[in-house]
Amino acid sequence: MAAEEFKQYVKANGIAKAAKEVDVVTTGTFGAMCSSGAYFNFGHSDPPIKMQKVWLDGIPAYTGLAAVDAYIGATELDESNNMLHGGAHVIEDLVRGKAIRLRATAYGTDCYPRKEIDTFVSLKTVNQSVLFNTRNCYQNYACATNSSARTLYTYMGKLLPEFGNATYCSAGELSPLLNDPYYRTIGIGTRIFLGGGQGFVIWEGTQFNPGVPRTPAGVPKRPAGSLAVIGDLKQMSSDFLRGLTFTKYGTSLGLGIGVPIPILDEEMAKACAITNDQISTAVFDYSEASRSRSVLREVTYSELRSGEITIKNKQVATSSLSSLWKARQIAETLKNQIVKGEFMIEKPIQNFSLDRVFKPLDVRSEKEAM
Amino acid sequence: MKTKVVLNFSPEASNQPITHNLIAKHHLVVNILRAEIDEFGGKMVLELSGKAEDIRKGIDYLKANSVGVRPIKEGVRRDDDVCTHCGMCVSICPTKALTLDVKTGKVTFTEEKCVACGVCIDACPPRAMEILI
Repeated sequence: MAAEEFKQYVKANGIAKAAKEVDVVTTGTFGAMCSSGAYFNFGHSDPPIKMQKVWLDGIPAYTGLAAVDAYIGATELDESNNMLHGGAHVIEDLVRGKAIRLRATAYGTDCYPRKEIDTFVSLKTVNQSVLFNTRNCYQNYACATNSSARTLYTYMGKLLPEFGNATYCSAGELSPLLNDPYYRTIGIGTRIFLGGGQGFVIWEGTQFNPGVPRTPAGVPKRPAGSLAVIGDLKQMSSDFLRGLTFTKYGTSLGLGIGVPIPILDEEMAKACAITNDQISTAVFDYSEASRSRSVLREVTYSELRSGEITIKNKQVATSSLSSLWKARQIAETLKNQIVKGEFMIEKPIQNFSLDRVFKPLDVRSEKEAM
Repeated sequence: MKTKVVLNFSPEASNQPITHNLIAKHHLVVNILRAEIDEFGGKMVLELSGKAEDIRKGIDYLKANSVGVRPIKEGVRRDDDVCTHCGMCVSICPTKALTLDVKTGKVTFTEEKCVACGVCIDACPPRAMEILI
């Protein structure tokens, strides 16, 4: 059953029956996931080159790897900082089947004598093309607003002055990790829907922070867990993978992820029965230039979805940065794939550690860092 | 009657009380949707309301004073192939022309409510909104 369908089913039939009758609940989310990128193996030129600098349609890619491997990050920009076309847009263009200009330079070695190459590549010409993301699919996220007198342009979108609006970016009750708050079924090796293809969870996501305050039901009230994921770009589709531009912030990758959650027992059914009124997050003032901004208030996802919340006695319009429409599409697609036997469910090879802490970066001496 | 127009100001015209005259002499209700004008000229997007005859005379007045006038048939356009229906535009749209329909999960764009102010253009992450001026 798709997540929303399951919640309705529990409401009508109760946890015990739902746990008995339903095997799998499919979740989904589609939002901006900055910590994303893709690596490629371009194949060898003749004479061969050990690429030292690489540009894909003008966007630099990291190539401090073997000769013709490179990684392009979603937020990478060209030298002019053109935010309308970054690494994420190059990845989208490749997924759309377009040819991309590959330019590389090198210092030349005895085994790799070539010093430059200027050519075109596409998903058809490269060997590997793999989406490899270090932090996706955040388990809950903040709600952003702005108390200052000027418009702020942030990764949470355009924030109008004097609490002119508030933005949030979790799929709430549809979001994968909010339906499995203690990561019982989602871990290393979990097969997932990724950008329209099938991929895997390969590690905990960076900044994994399970120790945040939780509701009595265990649902994190702040950004908590996240996933590192991998998948073949050749399977993906621009319906679920998009280059995004956040004005004056930069580029990001709009990505769709779906995770099936097996209903192992009543506890799991209870976790998947969670609804938007039982999931909350904190509203932060993004005009506060600090890594630990103060909490203006806590708010539930049903309040956020209603289109308006109250902040300091003011009615403030809300915007989601996460597409409800696409999240539903993903949950539904995944459900159909499972029913047809096209998507196999994997038990995690290893579960995530609940002991991870999220450490800050301070300016420190060599001794203090030891 | 209501109509939306784009005005192109020459440097001479930008120093004249053009908008004032439209209101005072031609009895039009003028809603300024966008304005970028300095001493070297510029552009303005206006919504003019009034009698058809007054609007016609107002436009003649503009043309006679070296202001280029172009009617807007469509102010803001959404490319439905590009829109991901995230909803970022919903909270910044001052006229609620963009709303999230929780039932369908999609963002609805009601063009009649749009005043072509353009705040949604640079707020849209996949860049689905375009202003036609």
